[in-house]
Amino acid sequence: MSEQEKSPEDSGGEAPAEAGEQKAEAPAEAPAEAPAAEAKPARAEKAAAAPTKEPPPPGGIADLLKEALPDIQMEAYQGLSSVIVEIARDDISTVMRAAKDDPRLDLKFLRCLFGVDHLEEGFEVIYQLLSLTKDHEVTIKTRLPQADPKVASVTPVWNAANWHERETRDMFGIDFEGHPHLVPLLLPEDMTDHFPLRKDNPLAPVEEWQGELLGEHMASAGHIPAGSGFEVEAEAGGE
Amino acid sequence: MVTEERELETVDLNINMGPQHPSTHGVFRMVLTIDGEVVTDVEPHIGYMHRGGEKLSENMDFRQAIGYQDRTDYLAQFLNEQAYCMAVEKLLGLEVPERSEYIRIILCELNRITSHFMFAGAFGIDLGFFGTSFTYGFREREFIQDIFEEVSGDRLMYGYFRPGGVVWDVPDNFVQRVREVLPKSKQGIKDLDLLLTDNEIFVARSRGVGVISGDDAIDWGLSGPMLRASGVAWDLRKDRSYSIYNRFDFDIPVGDYGDVYDRYLVRMEEMRQSIRIVEQALEQLPDGPILPEKMPRKLRAPASEVYAAVEGARGEYGIYVVSKGGDKPYRLKIRSPSFCNLSALKTMTVGNYVADAVAILGSVDIVLCDVDR
Repeated sequence: MSEQEKSPEDSGGEAPAEAGEQKAEAPAEAPAEAPAAEAKPARAEKAAAAPTKEPPPPGGIADLLKEALPDIQMEAYQGLSSVIVEIARDDISTVMRAAKDDPRLDLKFLRCLFGVDHLEEGFEVIYQLLSLTKDHEVTIKTRLPQADPKVASVTPVWNAANWHERETRDMFGIDFEGHPHLVPLLLPEDMTDHFPLRKDNPLAPVEEWQGELLGEHMASAGHIPAGSGFEVEAEAGGE
Repeated sequence: MVTEERELETVDLNINMGPQHPSTHGVFRMVLTIDGEVVTDVEPHIGYMHRGGEKLSENMDFRQAIGYQDRTDYLAQFLNEQAYCMAVEKLLGLEVPERSEYIRIILCELNRITSHFMFAGAFGIDLGFFGTSFTYGFREREFIQDIFEEVSGDRLMYGYFRPGGVVWDVPDNFVQRVREVLPKSKQGIKDLDLLLTDNEIFVARSRGVGVISGDDAIDWGLSGPMLRASGVAWDLRKDRSYSIYNRFDFDIPVGDYGDVYDRYLVRMEEMRQSIRIVEQALEQLPDGPILPEKMPRKLRAPASEVYAAVEGARGEYGIYVVSKGGDKPYRLKIRSPSFCNLSALKTMTVGNYVADAVAILGSVDIVLCDVDR
């Protein structure tokens, strides 16, 4: 099932949140959500309570980042589990270097980094940083255009990023410039032009393989040998 | 007669290890470059077990994807389920009832013990204790495994935790059964201790091997026993206390040298600490509901994103969920500890003897399904 198909029926709960505060994540879904107005009160409450763009707590990590990097444009807001800071992709190297080396920030631990495919809105790369000495952590995000998914590698800053970046390249085709060894890690060595986690790459339809319920794709996929006597049943079983 | 003096020509050898090798704990391949007996380069090859779980989870609703969490790290399933359920609970704003929190903690800590028993057993084999340590480890693991089976109805893929609590209440004799098993586990740890800890061969093969410093460990993103063995006292249960861990009294064991032996010692001590936590949790286990009163039939998340992590048996097991509304995650990222820990293999192995490569790999305690997801 594609994303577009399922959004109208799923959107019941979000309509009130939409009205209350502007939603950062999914403007693409907005038109589909408007007609589905019937929302149960319990669910509406929850949706409204979800902080999508609340300002970060004063004196927290967002202010520290701004203090350490006064020249960098950043948009910070409070997420559900940590402060989220969005920056431009050109600033990644500067910000990450400072995040690790600045004693005020001391974000020495890179938990993980990964990609998210937002289709027309491009790719998002999310970095999760943690300080082992100070009581803060931060999620840093950057947006890459769909046509040109490139961002500077942070492997020179953290060795931990090495495999994460290779995995993200495998799955999304995001090019990490300056990575020392950007070759397929989880996927086969020659699989360099197919990116499984992109949204334009849906899962294959489910096939039933048992008894009378042989799926409709069976015959065409060549699973049933011609002349075996099962071809007819396969077609009838598809219902 | 004059003999021409020529230098002996040496050539670096490439040795392939795996993917089907008994010491790789699954399907893992590494190409070792050796100069004589010393390893000069390691190139790990992973991905043989990659099943696209993150993609599959995008197409499952929030309850269905629990089943997948069992299949990542199949030696610490409850801990994975805990991380996943915590992420969904945070996302949906579900409050977990007290009783469920306690049941979860008890099962998670027992699971940590079984996982470390497995480690100690397999690690003994890696260092040359043919069979004995393995049977010791498996014998003790089996007693706890029986409890898991009684609770969840399954021996491997439990699928017992649910967002909001657990799927059904534990059997009536659960507390009594766990109390019966704990002394056996204590005895099992003692047995392993006697067999391995002070064993001269064991120590000689593991002391000073595969050293990684604390700073390097942080830089490589190591977590769990790997990080603590390098002298960094970092445990999510204490430092980012989640669930109800702040109610229990337990210690975080830390190593001094960051070598293979320290990793073994840290895990052995962690088992004892886990038993302490289980004992306290059994004392405090309250009666009450196991799921919140207003539990929605269908879990629908608001458009938001959340990260939740637990201190798994191998390190920080985290789940990042990006939701755009609806009953399925838009993107689900699994931060698996084995993946991050294994990425530092080269740093730990280069400069050691080729025979120790197996010991170092064993000390990382990887689960290949967790590495590849």
